[in-house]
Amino acid sequence: MKLSSLIRLTALILLVAFIVMPHAFAFVFEPLTVNRAPAIYNQGSLLTLTLQHLRTVVLATLASTVIAVALGIFVTRPSGTEFLPLSRSLVNIGQTFPPIAVLAIAVPLVGFGEKPTFIALFLYGLLPIFENTLTGLTQVSPQTLEAARGMGMNDRQRLFQVELPLAFPLILAGIRLSVIISLGTATIGSTVAAKGLGEVIIAGLQSNNIAFVLQGGLVVALLAVLIHDGLGLIERLAARKLGRSLDEVS
Amino acid sequence: MIEIEHLTKRYGTNTVVEDVSFEVEEGTLTVVVGTSGAGKSTLLRMINRLVEPTSGRVLIDGEDTRRIPEDTLRHRIGYVIQGYGLFPHRNVADNIATVPRLLGWDRKRIAQRVEELLDLFQLDPAEFARKFPHELSGGQQQRVGVARALAARPALLLMDEPFGALDAVIRAKAQDDLLAIQRRLGTTIMLVTHDMNEAFHLGDRIAVMDQARLLQYASPAELLMHPADDFVERLVGTAERPFRLLSLAKVQEAVEPGAAEGEPIAVSDSLHDALSRLMWTGHRALPVADAKGAIIGRVSVDGILEHGRSLP
Repeated sequence: MKLSSLIRLTALILLVAFIVMPHAFAFVFEPLTVNRAPAIYNQGSLLTLTLQHLRTVVLATLASTVIAVALGIFVTRPSGTEFLPLSRSLVNIGQTFPPIAVLAIAVPLVGFGEKPTFIALFLYGLLPIFENTLTGLTQVSPQTLEAARGMGMNDRQRLFQVELPLAFPLILAGIRLSVIISLGTATIGSTVAAKGLGEVIIAGLQSNNIAFVLQGGLVVALLAVLIHDGLGLIERLAARKLGRSLDEVS
Repeated sequence: MIEIEHLTKRYGTNTVVEDVSFEVEEGTLTVVVGTSGAGKSTLLRMINRLVEPTSGRVLIDGEDTRRIPEDTLRHRIGYVIQGYGLFPHRNVADNIATVPRLLGWDRKRIAQRVEELLDLFQLDPAEFARKFPHELSGGQQQRVGVARALAARPALLLMDEPFGALDAVIRAKAQDDLLAIQRRLGTTIMLVTHDMNEAFHLGDRIAVMDQARLLQYASPAELLMHPADDFVERLVGTAERPFRLLSLAKVQEAVEPGAAEGEPIAVSDSLHDALSRLMWTGHRALPVADAKGAIIGRVSVDGILEHGRSLP
């Protein structure tokens, strides 16, 4: 086994162990506490919070993916090319608008909880997926498309049998980017009462307990690194099938 | 038979193909030759309706192609382009299976057909079926491209500069292979090229195009002896004419009775090859052997030169 995969495996085992039985790690965090404050987050189960955090991220990314890929396909069809500049600016606004501002606007409209976080993550995740879908679909060589047309593939067959499979590694790279951004961004959802790992961090900030802040931060960071790695692996497999290294694709 | 009738394509005021008509006999190889921008590719693409003609029509075995749905028409016509456009995400077997799959053949029949084609193109199925296009050499990619076009047994094969991406040595081999396969399958082929040598080497008939118009449609010998105008004459190459004539004729036509010293020449060789053998070896004449190796006479330098004259 290579050193890098060994490190990954260790990180994964540590993460799972910590989430499932955080009190076993209390000795690590005790030196960080003052006035006998609790060393391990005690206002809820870390496991539940992690799963809720992941759920919000997965749902939001799924929604971003569906919308962004559909939009990307639409604007690369002959009937949709006029909408390319418009959809680009819309998606760009989603990215430039700070998530915290989205939360501020969304709360009065949909109330506290997971919904405003979901909206913020969804908007924030659109851009990378949309841009990568666009690049993936437009970089399919004209010769390949000409051959597909010449062999009698109709528009739908060309899209599903040629264009999307060829764009797949790039779309996947966009999704990966979006997931990673969302994992971090989702922590601010806890300011509007969404269940998630942000709770741990905020509780730590409010009670001036660095151990809490560190726990929340570490779990989020490890999740991000591991998911990033896992998706990268799938991408490489997909790209290898196309005979290109990942560097060329991304 | 393919009948092209008054085919015209205009983009705005720009005429790309103007009133082109000719007929292609079944089982022959027709080469459309001309300078770049002469409209040859557009002409070819109007036959499988990748380009819709402005006016005129194409009949395939008497059937107007406009009456056939586009996709159905293209399933029935093989199409090979320069660079081949192989699908990078599909292996060789899946690439070749493209049209049979679109036609909904069953799995067994497809597998059989793929194997048959790989054999025909001298690609070992065990080695090549699972390879991806980027793992193939240029010549192998070209063969897969043609095999893919022939997968559903089309009666007509359209080829647009199919040898353009190959180096000279592999190109000559690929051309000979195409001829052999065409003779064997009896497929009607229309091939577009800008290379006059290729046209003379491959074509049963040659269509010369320039500036959107068809200048001459004739057999290679006819083109050499009676070029329709100055442009055709220049394209054919005045200095090359006698040698091209010799390339078209077989030793068979110049066999004379008598004996000669030296290694025999095959009766099926071209006179061009025979002459270069004579010049190279310094003989005035060499014996001629038939397919079985029996000596049937001789061929001489003087006899060959007779065949390189404009008025025999």
